[in-house]
Amino acid sequence: MRADAITVKDLKIVYRSLQSQSIKKSLFKAKKSKRGNFEAIKGISFSIKEGEIVGIIGKNGSGKSTLLRALANIFAPDEGSIHIHEHTISLMAIGVGFQPSLTGRENIMLSGMLLGFEEEMIRKKMNEIIEFSELGSFIDVPVKNYSSGMHSKLAFSITSVLETDIMLVDEVLSVGDARFKKKSEEKMKSLIGDKHRTVVIVSHSISTLSKLCDKVIWMHEGEIKMYDETQKVLYEYLEFMGADEK
Amino acid sequence: MLEKLVYDTKKYWKYTKYAAKSELKSEVANSHLNWLWWVLEPLLLMLVYLFIAVVAFKSTLKYFPIYIFLGLTLWNTWSGLLKNSLKLLKRNKGIISKVYLPKLTLLFIRMLVSGFKMLISFGIIIVMMICWRVPVTWNILYIIPLMMVLFLLTFGMCTILMHYGVFIEDLSNVINVGLKLLFYMTGIFYSLEERVHGLLGNILLYCNPISFVIHSMRNVILYGKSVNIWIMLFWGIVGIVLSVIGVKLIYKYENSYVKVL
Repeated sequence: MRADAITVKDLKIVYRSLQSQSIKKSLFKAKKSKRGNFEAIKGISFSIKEGEIVGIIGKNGSGKSTLLRALANIFAPDEGSIHIHEHTISLMAIGVGFQPSLTGRENIMLSGMLLGFEEEMIRKKMNEIIEFSELGSFIDVPVKNYSSGMHSKLAFSITSVLETDIMLVDEVLSVGDARFKKKSEEKMKSLIGDKHRTVVIVSHSISTLSKLCDKVIWMHEGEIKMYDETQKVLYEYLEFMGADEK
Repeated sequence: MLEKLVYDTKKYWKYTKYAAKSELKSEVANSHLNWLWWVLEPLLLMLVYLFIAVVAFKSTLKYFPIYIFLGLTLWNTWSGLLKNSLKLLKRNKGIISKVYLPKLTLLFIRMLVSGFKMLISFGIIIVMMICWRVPVTWNILYIIPLMMVLFLLTFGMCTILMHYGVFIEDLSNVINVGLKLLFYMTGIFYSLEERVHGLLGNILLYCNPISFVIHSMRNVILYGKSVNIWIMLFWGIVGIVLSVIGVKLIYKYENSYVKVL
């Protein structure tokens, strides 16, 4: 029996009436402002075993990305808990956060440190990352001068070369131009292929999910509608979406 | 809370240091005169205020250039950090919405950067003191507790502003006007003691922590005078209270800021 990589219990995430407002509003409407709480995730529980590849599917606004961010510890659970059992975790999403005024090289260092790697380790992997990103001499130029393609190439290279135990992938299996796209897809496959790596993929692409995943979670309006073998879930999901459209 | 603070600070210390260093480096790389600006900017500003003070106010204070320079250095460090902390989370949205990072780390990076620049200014002050042959007494050791008080006050205020800066959009307008007013009430280029007499003078001098710190710093560094220990202690305690409130606020909302930004 493999150990759990991720354990989620009664997770609830609310976008409360936490909103920025002006001083005037906060002074005069302090009592009245009771905007509706929006529950993005409504008390879900599940666990993912080490080495499993799990897809998350669901229509827009069903809480997929919110769940992913919560797993990456970017959002705090309002109720319930998430355990990742001492694993390192990284979120691959379009445009990893960079400090615009710093160079690509410095940003690799900083991102790596935030992902929980030692300076030494990142230095060792530095050349591999730069090579993979195909940025060449641009690596010593401030990131603010990058094109969006270069930006996402660098982001992808960092998270894919500095491998974490758990990878959360948000809709990006391919970035950049056609050539880089192919290369990144292959890299993704080899990463996912590693038996020890746990991967959670959010995607709308049925073909991607059925190709890659062992299991799929189907999210519907903040709840888990189904969590089972890939083919079963996808079949039901397509049925449901089809019926929905009619 | 204290445990978490110590743990986080330790864990992210390397990151903090590296980020601060890179930021300083990028500032140097992006300007023509490079690091000379760190020295030039405060020196030139000092000349501006020196002009106002000597021509308009006919000031005759001893060691007047150093007097202004010291005041400006402390004021700029403090007010710069305050203004910065308001937008700190918003400016780093790209990072904090992609990876977990204790929000206080962002503040520590800013404080390191400002602290380093302040050190350079203090280097200039030492050079100026040698040129003007300012006699130094043991009272200069009061710099240490005064710096600690300044640190606590700044840290406390910044954490609180950092929190409210997220939720209240136009807070920066208020803070900017407030700081401008406070700047003239602090006596950066004139002596509160000499120019404002009676109760008002005392209020301006002692009820405003920043003017108290600047006034005391000048006294111990330039004039060999002592410090009002009780008032220093009082502001130190206020600093601790503010810091505790601020850190609590930040920890409570740590992972909710991203939802608002």
